[in-house]
Amino acid sequence: MSAYVAVRQILSPGFRTTFKQFLLNASTRQTCSPFIISQRFYAEKKIFERNKPHCNVGTIGHVDHGKTTLTAAITKVLSDQDLAESKLYTDIDNAPEEKARGITINVAHIEYQTENRHYGHTDCPGHADYIKNMITGTAQMDGAILVVAATDGAMPQTREHLLLAKQIGINHIVVFINKVDAADQEMVDLVEMEMRELMTEMGYDGDEAPFVKGSALCALEGKSPEIGSDAIIKLLAEIDRYVPTPVRDLDKPFMLPVESVYSIPGRGTVVTGRLERGVLKKGTECEFVGYNKVIKSTVTGVEMFRQTLEEAQAGDQLGALVRGVKRDEIKRGMVMAKPGTVKANDQIEAQVYILSKEEGGRHKPFTSFVQLQMFSKTWDCATQVIIPNKEMVMPGEDTALKLKLMRPMVLEKGQRFTLRDGNITLGTGVVTNILTPLTEKERIELTEGKKAREKKAKA
Amino acid sequence: MYYKQFTRFFHVTRSVWGSTDKSALSALRKKTGYTFANCKKALELHENDLTKAEQWLKEQAQALGWSKATKLEGRATTQGLIGVLVQQHIGAMVEVNCETDFVARNENFQEFVGKASKACAHYISEVDNVNKITKIGLEGETLRNLKLEDGKTLNDHLALLIGTVGENASLKRAICYKSPESVRLSGYIHPTPDTPIEEGLLMLGKYGSIAAFNSNSEKTEEILNIHRKICQHIVGMNPLKIGDIEVDKPNEVKDEETCLIHQEFLLDPEVTIGQMLQEHNIKIIDFQRFECGEKIEYHEASQAAESS
Repeated sequence: MSAYVAVRQILSPGFRTTFKQFLLNASTRQTCSPFIISQRFYAEKKIFERNKPHCNVGTIGHVDHGKTTLTAAITKVLSDQDLAESKLYTDIDNAPEEKARGITINVAHIEYQTENRHYGHTDCPGHADYIKNMITGTAQMDGAILVVAATDGAMPQTREHLLLAKQIGINHIVVFINKVDAADQEMVDLVEMEMRELMTEMGYDGDEAPFVKGSALCALEGKSPEIGSDAIIKLLAEIDRYVPTPVRDLDKPFMLPVESVYSIPGRGTVVTGRLERGVLKKGTECEFVGYNKVIKSTVTGVEMFRQTLEEAQAGDQLGALVRGVKRDEIKRGMVMAKPGTVKANDQIEAQVYILSKEEGGRHKPFTSFVQLQMFSKTWDCATQVIIPNKEMVMPGEDTALKLKLMRPMVLEKGQRFTLRDGNITLGTGVVTNILTPLTEKERIELTEGKKAREKKAKA
Repeated sequence: MYYKQFTRFFHVTRSVWGSTDKSALSALRKKTGYTFANCKKALELHENDLTKAEQWLKEQAQALGWSKATKLEGRATTQGLIGVLVQQHIGAMVEVNCETDFVARNENFQEFVGKASKACAHYISEVDNVNKITKIGLEGETLRNLKLEDGKTLNDHLALLIGTVGENASLKRAICYKSPESVRLSGYIHPTPDTPIEEGLLMLGKYGSIAAFNSNSEKTEEILNIHRKICQHIVGMNPLKIGDIEVDKPNEVKDEETCLIHQEFLLDPEVTIGQMLQEHNIKIIDFQRFECGEKIEYHEASQAAESS
């Protein structure tokens, strides 16, 4: 017994200090004690702290050049600084089939942060998966890390990787030359030279693109830090520097797709909807665009939950009182925006994924001139589909399409939409390019039947 | 002491000999396209002699390809391409798989699919058929051991390809047709550019079909076009059999129709394929459809079907 007490007496001061430390650190764990391993003793969801700008990146490269190892290594190195949760290679490699908007994509999404920014990291196995990812917009990539093994150099399909990056709108690529532990300096230099050349050839700024050399495997195994963890830290620093932070929706000019319009006696016309971007204040000038109309007005009041709002921010569901506009002048589907910032368009190019039968799409392929209903924001419009360079599109494929709308609606680059045929969702897409507006003649041709088209083709 | 110095001296000379000339390495890599590691090895072995190293690399390519192929063996290949080659009375359709669709878009891979299609077309052209239509399915060893013009087997070329792209690839299956004068073959590949394609050229895509038609009417441009449209229909609508107008009844749910003759024509849903064939006095004898990456029952494809 006495022995037990003695032991307790020796140990208890130690206990006390650790407990005190724990209490102290628990409150400030996130900010000032990065060496404590974050541990939860209760079942509560971690709260996302929005204290850094967010940016989306992804890895591209040959299957054996270490994309997944690099991703795992990034999380490992950052988890040592308490900035990420360490992920195992197998967690990332077995990219789970994810269902986004009913579409199955093989993709791994990982989050981590550096001192400056919070990152979403995407890793997909194939070209089609990246395209689907771009279309459904689960995570638009702002920049990419191209992984090349120093032992192999650029592979024949690296060209295709860069083409893909161009196609999904990535302008900033950071190159990571991996496996430098298995190569010598000259080889690494030559790989860099070759990659810079290739990037320039593919329309990237090959001379300016940052190159980081290292070994993801060493970083993952905690060996030779000069090519391991240090290289990873350098890579992250380059990404921080080179890939620009995307403009937040909050900082863009305001835009609100109209959901419904009410007339309130004694006050005037109120439009409701969700503010998609920007900030809306009382007294702001606005413009309604859509259905061949542009109506100018002023917001005289903003309300949310029957309370007057000083300033509505992107994401708020609100009602806006507008001056001098009659209720029947505005319709659901129009867009209220800062004057001059949005435009109605009727001819666009888009990248579209056509749902397979299993995903609820059509079982039949379709050909050019098919007429579909296009849904975007709060509007919908009949649209003629032209398939460039192909005779037909099969279900389960992604494709570029040219869409001609029966009447101009608010459409801008990067806007997402859904194509439906009757009660079936055919596909979803994203606008990649705005084309010149249809002429009056072209608009009439839209409504012409197949027979008339054939007749014209013969003549 | 002297010994130590001597070894150091020796070491320095060795490294001078051993290290490859940077410009030579870069030149060799540019010229041959083989991986840096291999180019370096070649230069080391041949004391920076570019021509010798290049020769060695070419000799080694086969062996290197094989070793890479063995290393990557067993990795799943779910992507790839279908190649269709139809030359009047000879038709071949091949499926080659690879790991990622990036490789399927690469020209090295596409070139190989072309070689495989040509090898199959050559193989069937040697088969003796007297006024009969012959259909032979190839896969596994038979397909891999087809000889090309340069004397190497398809498998050798496959190993070379694996060595070049560094990804697993496999020859999945092939189907070959040979028909007599009265029967006309037609093929279709998806995706196809919206412009007419010359006959007899290799076509590559994700879906392919070959069909054999017996038409008594003259082989005009229009008839040939209808043959092609029916092949397109087969790709698009995936019929399981041709069907017999007297035996097979149309499915009540139109969208689930698997009989070719009862299916609505893809490009004009107002007529069925059966009606269209009748109108133009065409008979369809046989067809085959490949979808890249589809799961197949193996015994079925290897059967050799013969019909008069």
